Amino acid sequence: MNGNTTITATVGHLLTPAERQHWKLAWLSTVDHKRIGILYMLIGLVFFVFGGIEALLIRLQLIVPNNTLLGPDTYNWMFTMHGTTMIFLVAMPVLFGIMNYILPLQIGARDMAFPRLNALGVWLVPFGGILLHFSFLAGGPPAVGWFAYTPLSEAPYSSQLGVDYWAISLLVLGVGSVSAGINFIVTVLTQRAPGMTLRRLPLFSWMVFMNAFLVILALPLLNAALVMLLIDRLLGGRFFLPFGGGSAILWQHIFWAFGHPEVYIVAIPAFAILSEVIPVFSRKPIFGHEFVAASTVIIVFLSLLVWAHHMFTVGLGHTIDLFFVAASVLIAVPTGVKLFNWSATMVGGRVRFTTPMLYCVAALLQFLIGGLTGISHAVAPLDWQTKNSYYLVAHFHNIFVGLIVFAILGGIYYWFPKMSGRMLSERIGKWTFWLMTIGFNLTFMIQHVLGLAGMPRRTFTYPDLPGWTWMNMVSTIGAFFMAAGSILFVWDLVTSLFRGKPAGDNPWNAWTLEWATTSPPPHENFNALPPIHSRRPLWDYANPDRPDPVVPVGGAIDTFRPDKIKAGVMTFIISEFGFFGVLILTYLFYNATSKSGPGAQQLDVLKTTIFSICLFASSFTIWQSEVGLRANNLGKMKAWLIATIVLGGIFIVGQGLEYWSLFQSGVTVGLDLFATTFFTLTGFHGLHVFFGLLALLVVLGVALISNPKNGRFPALGAVGYYWHFVDVVWVFVFSIVYLWPLIR
Amino acid sequence: MTTQQFFTSTWTWNLAALASIAAALVAYVWAFGLGRRILYLIAGLGVFVLALISPLNALAAGYLFSAHMLQHILLLLIVPALVWMSLPRWVSLGSRSWLVANPFVGWIAGVGAMWLWHARPLCNAAVSSQFVNALQISSLILLGTIFWRQILAPREEERMSPPGAVLYLFSACVACSILGILITFSPVSVCPIYAQPPTDRLRILNLIQSNWGITPDKDQQIGGLLMWVPMCLVYLSAIVAQLARWFAHPVASAPVMDKHL
Repeated sequence: MNGNTTITATVGHLLTPAERQHWKLAWLSTVDHKRIGILYMLIGLVFFVFGGIEALLIRLQLIVPNNTLLGPDTYNWMFTMHGTTMIFLVAMPVLFGIMNYILPLQIGARDMAFPRLNALGVWLVPFGGILLHFSFLAGGPPAVGWFAYTPLSEAPYSSQLGVDYWAISLLVLGVGSVSAGINFIVTVLTQRAPGMTLRRLPLFSWMVFMNAFLVILALPLLNAALVMLLIDRLLGGRFFLPFGGGSAILWQHIFWAFGHPEVYIVAIPAFAILSEVIPVFSRKPIFGHEFVAASTVIIVFLSLLVWAHHMFTVGLGHTIDLFFVAASVLIAVPTGVKLFNWSATMVGGRVRFTTPMLYCVAALLQFLIGGLTGISHAVAPLDWQTKNSYYLVAHFHNIFVGLIVFAILGGIYYWFPKMSGRMLSERIGKWTFWLMTIGFNLTFMIQHVLGLAGMPRRTFTYPDLPGWTWMNMVSTIGAFFMAAGSILFVWDLVTSLFRGKPAGDNPWNAWTLEWATTSPPPHENFNALPPIHSRRPLWDYANPDRPDPVVPVGGAIDTFRPDKIKAGVMTFIISEFGFFGVLILTYLFYNATSKSGPGAQQLDVLKTTIFSICLFASSFTIWQSEVGLRANNLGKMKAWLIATIVLGGIFIVGQGLEYWSLFQSGVTVGLDLFATTFFTLTGFHGLHVFFGLLALLVVLGVALISNPKNGRFPALGAVGYYWHFVDVVWVFVFSIVYLWPLIR
Repeated sequence: MTTQQFFTSTWTWNLAALASIAAALVAYVWAFGLGRRILYLIAGLGVFVLALISPLNALAAGYLFSAHMLQHILLLLIVPALVWMSLPRWVSLGSRSWLVANPFVGWIAGVGAMWLWHARPLCNAAVSSQFVNALQISSLILLGTIFWRQILAPREEERMSPPGAVLYLFSACVACSILGILITFSPVSVCPIYAQPPTDRLRILNLIQSNWGITPDKDQQIGGLLMWVPMCLVYLSAIVAQLARWFAHPVASAPVMDKHL
């Protein structure tokens, strides 16, 4: 075969014959989960170049003491952009891409549950990324760290637009991530192949499923914090400004309530990849599947509980520190369980050290180191000494690079044959592996020592102290090893795409369903599926005389398959808890005591009660509309639907009038903490009512045009859930904002 | 008073509590005889003693909000759970009653007991009035029993499915954490009666504030944290048990083929 035909054959995989005519749009307009997965990864790769160059600039600045390559401001830009980019624009998109590609295949589905939502999610990533990087043209990027602690990130101290772009960009990315999380959950719940019960999910799919819950629970906390920061910066709010009575520490609480789970949002997919690759390359089923699966649930749970250990140095007091030391140390248990299980899987196996396995073993070892230094940070007194030093930098890079990037690389070497139909080069793979591992350990292992020697992080240069110079030099050299490894890796990707060895359907003799179809899979994924009785259907298929023990069906819940649209809306509603929860808690925190000046006493409770009754009544009317639909009485359904829209409209108008009269009496967002919290909480609820009304109008329009037959109109029930949810939120908001001051 | 004197001299020999312990033991033996599961009941009654008779009760009676919170958690979560576990596995209770069988009711009972009794007037009244205090104790045990029924009913078919139970426990943890967070960071006193103990009946105020270093502010913080962290760990332990239930293979000697294929 000469080069030309090979290239044509590869392009044949990239585009179907029909698509050649409009090839420019074929990938841009795709809703196929496989292409979206690849787009996610490619976008992540582009931003990896950005984040990587920023990292190299940081290391070049630090190569010698008192260096003047980057000034202090530029250095702050670099580490802020590096952190933000690597987490939100590299780690998350690339992992979402792998999950997007593999999850539907592994559960025997045709596609994700909501393909168009999936496309929205992927295109929000470049949108957010461009917004973030546009700040370079708009007066300079943010210089406040990826955590953007207040009050530094507030307008008086960061008056450039950088922080605004940062916050808006993360909001866009957060919305995209939540949409992807919802999609993963609903896909697992509704798109599984027959026989693929929840207990038969392979570990990768199970972990993606659990991780998606963490995404929809944690990301909205960040979204809430970001809108509060933006209200402070753009509308003169007072949430985090100490001189307005606000609390700068509150930002840290909310940020880390998101930030700690975020670590697991990117770590659990890495665990998922290890759990898939290690057994296949040890030729053994995973040791203690149930323990690995259950420990994932526990990690999800615990990760939401321990954020305060990021704040030991803030001065929360010994009492609070003590509780969070204990809770944080507990996380070592489920993660330790995983490490033991992966190691035990390799023991006694016929281990093949090909590139995917090499990366995964390295990830396991680096995670062991990162995990142990992590436990050392859970101990408050040690944390006080090392938190602002390079010891912490070394710790979290062991997690983010050592565990996560290595697992991603292992995963790409493992699944690239499935995605492209061609193998990556084993020879170049070994080169990239050694460049990456040696480079990584040169860069970061020595930073433990630097940190313990007292070198502070987030500082643009350092004095020529004994030992610091050569250690920094080693660290910088290591970074360039990793850069070389990365370039070689991309070279391998490109050349193998055209000239790689053909892979066949199942080059690794793996056992899960993604290997039961061609490489790359056809648009519809499968022609036929093998029967599924266990977690390794291809093993059973290949070894009919000694199959895995059948995993029995564990009751109705094991085969649970809810309606897709309703499951989607319910999952979305769960994701809203975090958002409104933060806004409500913030309101309570700032309004616990009655202060002088305008306050809740000034609100016209009677008028709002009347409007609220309209809103509560609309829950009844939409229920009646559904009753009408079930009775196949379309006239009744439409009439009650219109009544719902009218009642919701009255509420919105009422809220508008209330806002108007408050504005007239001089109560605006920036007046004081009451006004800031009041307008934010009721305003975001109002916004939800408004979007609910739009959805109701769409549903009404569809009902008027299409006249649904036989009571089949799931959109109405789905909007109904959302509408009830908006009403329930108002029950809480109304009680807290309007009724509570009356009885206090 | 020294700490040692405190631990020896402040036991509350409450007749009603002692009588209910005896009654529970007698009733259990009469109904189910002496099985191994009576150990759970004895453990449960031990926790009951710890909550209501040991010095913890003296502290909770007007001195320390955090002691009250610990008492609250023990009575709501630990005692009823151990009582459920003490029942022989054939016992069926309340499956006929819609009210008790509904998971939503169970959830509201468990979480509501936390929120309701920390409303400021009720929290104060439970300290100042003996009657309200007795009402609080019995309602906590009752509501805890309703809450745990979904998880710990002796018969497998009366419990929630494991994934449902995980959601039930997880959301209960979140709901209690929110209250715990509010109490921990609240700038105002949640239960003002603890901020100024009316009379130092036991003469231990000095011991608590100087020797132990627990000021009213810190006291409330500990109370909130108890609800926020250790209480969630109780739910977490229950979640671990549910996961074990979910992943446990029912013993199947012959391969069981499912109907869906």
